[in-house]
Amino acid sequence: MRLVLYTGKGGVGKTTTAAAAAVVAAERGLRTLVASADVAHSLGDVLDVRLGPEPRRLAPGLHALEIDPRVESARHWGRIQRFLERTFRHQGIEAAVAEELAMLPGAEELTTLLAVEDFAARGDFDLLVLDCAPTDAALRLVTLPEVASSMVRLALQLAGAFSGLAVPLAKRIVSAPLPDSAVFAEAEALLYRNLAALRARLSSRQTSVRLVVTPERMVIDEARRAHTELALFEVACDAVIANRVLPDRALREPFFADWGRVQAERLAELETLFSPLPVLCAPLQDDEVIGLERLGAHGRALFADAAPDAVLSRAEPVRFARARGAYWVRVPLPGVDPKRLDVAVVDGELVISMPTRRRKLTLPRRFAPLALRDARVDGGTLHVRFERDAEAI
Amino acid sequence: MRVLLLTGKGGVGKTTMALATALAAAERGHRCAVISTDAAHSLGDALGHPVGPRPVEIAPRVTAQEVSALAELDRSWSEIHAWLQAALFDSDSLAAEELLVFPGLEELVALRAVHEVEAAGQHDVCVVDCAPTGSTLRMLRLPDVLRHLMENLWQWERRTARVLRPVAERLGAGRFVAPESVFDAFERLYAEVESVRQILLDEDRTSARLVVNPARVVIDETRRSFAYLCLYGVATDAVLVNRLLPESAAQGYFARWADRERAELADIEKSFPVPKLFAPLRPSEVRGVEALAELGREVYGARDPAELFVRRRPVRLAKRNGATLLEIDMPSAHADEVDVWIRGHDLYVSVRDFERRFALPGSVGGLPIADTRWRDGVLEVQFAQRAEGERSP
Repeated sequence: MRLVLYTGKGGVGKTTTAAAAAVVAAERGLRTLVASADVAHSLGDVLDVRLGPEPRRLAPGLHALEIDPRVESARHWGRIQRFLERTFRHQGIEAAVAEELAMLPGAEELTTLLAVEDFAARGDFDLLVLDCAPTDAALRLVTLPEVASSMVRLALQLAGAFSGLAVPLAKRIVSAPLPDSAVFAEAEALLYRNLAALRARLSSRQTSVRLVVTPERMVIDEARRAHTELALFEVACDAVIANRVLPDRALREPFFADWGRVQAERLAELETLFSPLPVLCAPLQDDEVIGLERLGAHGRALFADAAPDAVLSRAEPVRFARARGAYWVRVPLPGVDPKRLDVAVVDGELVISMPTRRRKLTLPRRFAPLALRDARVDGGTLHVRFERDAEAI
Repeated sequence: MRVLLLTGKGGVGKTTMALATALAAAERGHRCAVISTDAAHSLGDALGHPVGPRPVEIAPRVTAQEVSALAELDRSWSEIHAWLQAALFDSDSLAAEELLVFPGLEELVALRAVHEVEAAGQHDVCVVDCAPTGSTLRMLRLPDVLRHLMENLWQWERRTARVLRPVAERLGAGRFVAPESVFDAFERLYAEVESVRQILLDEDRTSARLVVNPARVVIDETRRSFAYLCLYGVATDAVLVNRLLPESAAQGYFARWADRERAELADIEKSFPVPKLFAPLRPSEVRGVEALAELGREVYGARDPAELFVRRRPVRLAKRNGATLLEIDMPSAHADEVDVWIRGHDLYVSVRDFERRFALPGSVGGLPIADTRWRDGVLEVQFAQRAEGERSP
C-alpha cells in the first residue's frame, strides 16, 4: 500500500490538498482512503460530510475517515489496559484508566500509526492519503516510533533484569501485582514489534511526505525546518506543493500588485531551497474548495498529468550523521564538479554554491554550536564535517 | 499579571496578532512578554530577525521568547536529562539527542515558561502565541493528566523504585531505575505546572483570543475550539477577525470571495458572543516591529489590549430549586457534538474528539445525572437529588 502524508504550516491547505489528491486518485481507479490524523479535524468540513472513525464511502473507490485516538486506543491496548486497571484497583484506584491512557502524551500519535498499519494489513486500499496535523505535530507523529521504541526498550530491559529473582522478591515487598511474563510478551508484541513495523513503513520507499506551502516567507521557512527534520529521521519527501498561487487574473487586481511581486520571488526560491524535489503548483480558486466536485477540479489542476500516488522524486535524500565525535551532512550531488564548488555556513544554513545554481539547506538545531571543519566530494556525494566549536582550530 | 492566549486554526495569523497585541499594549505603558509555545516557531520570521529561547527586547517594554524543549532540558532539568540519556541511549545516532524530547515535554516546557514570567514579576501582560488548536488543547489538558498521575500513581512508583533500586544495581541494571533526584526534579516540575494551572483557570487574569479568517473551514474549527476552551475552563474574551478583504480588493477575481465573506461574517457574528475586532488584509506581508505595531493600533483602536473584554467562568457549579447543576458555557457548540456521562465519581463531557474528566465534589459525587439540557448556549447537567436521610460520602 502506498502511503502519502501531507503536512505543512497551519492554514496552507493541507486538508484541501490531501482530499483533492484522494479524489483524483479514486477517479484514476485506485482504491483510495483519505484519513485525517489531526485531532482538530477539518477533513469532514472540506468534503462537506460528517466523518467518523470508520471509513465512509463517498464515491467509487473513495473512502474517508477521521481517526479518533480514543476509539483506536480501546481497540489496540486491550490486555495492557486491563493489567493496569487491575494494578491500579489493587492500589485503591478506581480510575477509568483507558481514557486516561488515551490522553497520555504520545498516545494519539501511536494510535494513529497503529490505525494506518491496520489498513495496510487489511489490503483493502492501494493508496492511503494521510492529512496530517501542522508541521510540528506531524513531526511528532513520524518520529514517535523511534522515540517510543527507545522507551519500550528501556522497559523491556528492565523487565528482563527482574524476571526470575527480582519479581517474586519485589512482589512480596510492594504487595501489588507486578506484570507477569504474559503481560510483557504482549507489551513486546504490541509495542516493540509494531513499532519496528511502523518505523519500517515510514522509512520505506512506499511512503512519502509532501510539504504543502503557500508562497509566503513564514510558511516556507517552517517547511524548510520540517524538511531537515524529516531527513534526520530518514523519512522521505517526494514533492513540495505550492498552494494558493494567485493566478494572472487575480494579479491584475491593483490591490494585489505587490503580492504578485512577492509571490514570484518566493516561487523562484522554492526551487533553490527544496532542490531536487519537484514543486507542484495549485492556483488560488475563485471560491472555497469544498465538496467532491470542486476538490476533483482542484486536484486535476494540481497534478495535471502526474499520478497522485506516483513517487514524484527518487533523488537520494540528504543525510545527517554522527560518528566518532564528529557530525556529518551528506548531500547527494550527482555529476557535480568538486573544483567548482563552494561550501559555507551562513545563519544556520549550509550554502552550497555551484557554477549555475545554489542550494541552501537548513541545519538541524544540534548543529548550531558546531563549526564547519571540512568538505569533500566522494562518489557524487558531498560530505561536510562539523565539530564542536571548542575543538575547532 | 494578565495572560492572553492567542490561538486558532493554523495559518490564520496567530503570531502576527500576538505581536501586534503586545506592541499595542506596550504603547499604553504595559510591560509585555510574548512567548511562542509552538515548536514550529514563527516569532523570528514575523519580526524579521532571530528570537531565541531566552527573552530578548524587541521594542520598548516588549520582550519575545521562543520556548525550546531541548534547551530547557539542558538548562533546568539536568537531572532528568542525564537520567534519560544514560537509560535510553548508548548509541552514536544523531537523532538520539532529538529523541530526548519525550512526548509531552514540549507542552510542559510551554507551561513552565508562563510560570517563569509570572515568578520573575517583570511583566504586566504575558501574550502566549500558541500552537494550532490541537497542540494547544494538549497543552491545556496536560496539567489534568499530570495531576491524575501524580495523585494516583506517583507515590506507588516512587516506593517501587526505592525497593527495586538496590536489586537493580546488583543485577547491573541500576541505570534503568530513576534515582531519587529524578523523582525530586519531577515533583518540582509538577508543582510549577500546578501553579500555571491556577493562573490559566483564573478568569480574572487569563483569557483566550481566537484568531479567525472569514472562511468556512476556519470558522467551523474555531467554533469547536471555542467550546473546547470552555470545556477546559478557559474563557475567550475576543475574536480577532484577520485578513478581511478591503473594499478596494473585493472585486474582479475576488468578487465571489467578497460575497462569501459577507455571509461568513454574519456567521461569525452569530457564533461567538464576545467582542469582534477586525484587521484587513494588507497590500503586502506584515513583517517587522513597525508594521506589526501599526496593525495592533488598527485592530484595538481605542481599546486597551490588556483589558479583560468579557469576564466569565465557563465552568460553574450552581444550585437551582435544591438541585445541583454543572453549567458549561458552549455558545458555539452544536448539541449533537456534545456527550455527557458519569463513571465512578467523575463526570465526563466530550465535544467531538476532546473530552474532560471532572472530579465531582463530595456533595454530588456518585449521584446519577437527572437531566442534561441546553439553555441559551449553556450546557446544564443536573444531578439527581440525594434521597432523604442519605448522607454524602
